Amino acid sequence: MGQSIQRRQPVKQTIFSTTLNNGIVLLGEELPGLESVAIAFHTPAGAVHDGPGRCGLATLSGEMMLRGAGDRSSRQIVDSLEGAGVQWAQSVSMSHASFAGAMVARQLPIALPIYADILRRPLLPDDQWEPARQMVLQNLAGTEDDPAHRAMSALRQLHYPSPWGMPSEGITAEVEGIGLEDVRAFVSANVRPRGTIIAIAGRIHWDAFVQSMEHLFGDWNAGATQPVVTGQRGPHVRHVQHDSQQTHIALAWPAPPYRSDESYEATAALAVLGGGSSSRLFSEVRERRGLCYSVSAGYHTLRDCAAAVCYSGTSAARAQETLDVMLTEIRRLPGTLEQAELDRVKARAKSALVMQQESSAARAGGIARQWYHLGKVRSLAEELARYDRLSVASIEAWLANHPPQELSVVSLGREPLEVPHEISA
Amino acid sequence: MKFLRERLDNGLEVIAEITDGALSTSIGFFVKAGARDETDSLWGASHFLEHMVFKGTADISADEINRRFDWMGASANAFTSEEDTVYHAAVLPEQQHEATALLARMMRPALRESDFATEKLVILEEIRMYDDQPPFGADDRCRASFFGRHPLARSVLGTVESIEALTADAMRDYHRQRYAPGNIVLAATGAVDFKALVESARTWCGAWEPQATQPRQTMPVAWAPRAESTLEHITRASATLEYAVRMTAGPAGHDEDRFAAKLLAAVLGDDSGSRLYWALVDSGEAEQASCHHHDYLDAGMFATQLSCDAGDVVELLERIEEVYRQATAEGISPAELEQARNKLAGRVVLVGERPRHRLFSVGLEWARAGTYRSVAEDLQIVENLGMEDVRRVLDCWPLHGSGSTVLAGPYPAEASPESLEESQ
Repeated sequence: MGQSIQRRQPVKQTIFSTTLNNGIVLLGEELPGLESVAIAFHTPAGAVHDGPGRCGLATLSGEMMLRGAGDRSSRQIVDSLEGAGVQWAQSVSMSHASFAGAMVARQLPIALPIYADILRRPLLPDDQWEPARQMVLQNLAGTEDDPAHRAMSALRQLHYPSPWGMPSEGITAEVEGIGLEDVRAFVSANVRPRGTIIAIAGRIHWDAFVQSMEHLFGDWNAGATQPVVTGQRGPHVRHVQHDSQQTHIALAWPAPPYRSDESYEATAALAVLGGGSSSRLFSEVRERRGLCYSVSAGYHTLRDCAAAVCYSGTSAARAQETLDVMLTEIRRLPGTLEQAELDRVKARAKSALVMQQESSAARAGGIARQWYHLGKVRSLAEELARYDRLSVASIEAWLANHPPQELSVVSLGREPLEVPHEISA
Repeated sequence: MKFLRERLDNGLEVIAEITDGALSTSIGFFVKAGARDETDSLWGASHFLEHMVFKGTADISADEINRRFDWMGASANAFTSEEDTVYHAAVLPEQQHEATALLARMMRPALRESDFATEKLVILEEIRMYDDQPPFGADDRCRASFFGRHPLARSVLGTVESIEALTADAMRDYHRQRYAPGNIVLAATGAVDFKALVESARTWCGAWEPQATQPRQTMPVAWAPRAESTLEHITRASATLEYAVRMTAGPAGHDEDRFAAKLLAAVLGDDSGSRLYWALVDSGEAEQASCHHHDYLDAGMFATQLSCDAGDVVELLERIEEVYRQATAEGISPAELEQARNKLAGRVVLVGERPRHRLFSVGLEWARAGTYRSVAEDLQIVENLGMEDVRRVLDCWPLHGSGSTVLAGPYPAEASPESLEESQ
């Protein structure tokens, strides 16, 4: 098999950006041929601002913001959005509270004022507090029944320094102690123009969009940036007792954040390890030994730190062997990269980049993410060129300087696994 | 958007929906083989075979298949359902030929004994994985109870026992029967070079022996949705929430009312903004309370899913029943109809923009019914749905009353039947 052949014919790309006087960043990408438009509002009210003993405050606040805003009740907000055929979503990550919608482009004028109300004029009413709290507690109870989710959540707590590894969905005991006044204070302090990114993609009219954003958000001035105090990391190895047939294994070690240029080398190395069906973990753990159904390696990034992450779930009796094979493959990675492996990783990455251009929602999310991490949007051409510059030598050089070490290891299941002492040291 | 089709001499059908300006090409082999085609001794064979197809042909190894897909930059995968097995790849247009050729060759797998033994372990892990997560088998048990002697009663994965007992020889026979060219549709969407697609099909599939297509197991003459309600319980003491699945009869895949049934399900039980959402989820009483309509060749059903605190499950199931009873008695409002139409139309447009999603609409529709509908035609159907269509569905297929319900979770088993029976 020879060098991967990729079409060089450029995809037409038109990206816009501007910043309002109050600091709100507006981003846009025109995607020719689409009927839809997707918009995402990211405000800097993420779970990293929860505060000690109040894990889940940001999630409760995000939920409450939807429950009445401007002159609309909770029900009227949802009915108005869904009546216009808007596929809406609300989520809270470590860094942001996000409100998004995808729709047929002509419905945008209906949706924008609703989102403006949610961000600027949330009512946070008394009568919605108990239902909102119960909803968040129900979701937390649901995650207790999802072993893979629990394993990955525990892993992030081990790997990242506090509060960056805390579960954004909250901790039941702490959510129970949060009051509506905490939510009101949190929204007032953290939902603010500076640090807010609004991204739109699809069938857009940029000038008209900027004008309506000026109209809806131009006179919004509130709050100063909230600092985050970064604390310590936890221990490196943890077993979570769970009554299940399968044992879930999650591993992490440090990787450069997305804004570091070396993140390309890191993601490529991880893709070779466990990114596709021809990756080493998939071949060795699943295909050759039949040890599990799912096994993978990937990259997870926050703004200032990131993680190489591996996961597998397998029956308890074969979990130790699975962990051992995973560790062997992780240790074997430096110094063994082959050109053919890199060619495949490049082909997959480039192909995924081009296909993302077919989805307004994916692009609205993508350009906002880039702005948050980089303070700019990289063009598709720039990204493709950066992948072209990846070489076996550049990845091996990075691996030599950053071999997988200081691993965090989580097992979740009936029995703990043996973790070699030296890997977590 | 343009639709083209061609039939090879051996019966294999080739179809494509071509979109000007699309950046990618999606290709799929849609095989009319699923859990409903299995017997007791073949339970789980369709899905196991789907895995085995990735283990290679006489001259391509499993590693080689994985490497080639990755080398093409393909997003490739497969799934098995009650009625279909689908192998699909999304690629950039210049890889259309490579991706089609590889998928086509995979349709004639080696089914080696050693691979069969290794992959059996993977399938067993997959069964354990699903058994460990919500709804802890309640969905499969409910399907078995609801469909009874109907071939759709069978779960796709099979059981640990049926998979352990399955032999490679039995799978080879099954493959010969179900993977006959007349039983397969090659579909493509997006930026498709149709001439090249047909040429690839001729090159790689043209020599497949034509065979009389095996008829599918049909609905037993005596089969009808249960007249009485059933209730079963799976005890999962360690689960945090209780999970309930309820199935009642609905319009089948050949019934024009299936579209109105989906709209009704959106009004009553969509994941957000529906009657169940406002009654149970928004209030924080249930983690999930939803209803969806599923249709098959000769049957259809509404599936209701509930997850909540175990102590509340009886009361919440009663309240869901009440929501359904009220809908049958009073119908839905014009505002609800309008909202649901806009919601469904929005989904049709968004799915229609991505060739990799559109592939499944186009391919499954052709494999099941031999019909094609453009995005515009799909939108027209949604647009034309009226109050009288919803009324007809409510009258013919009331969601309250008889149905099968299965609970899984910590709820005390001995307490459940009586208290629930009283509510029905």
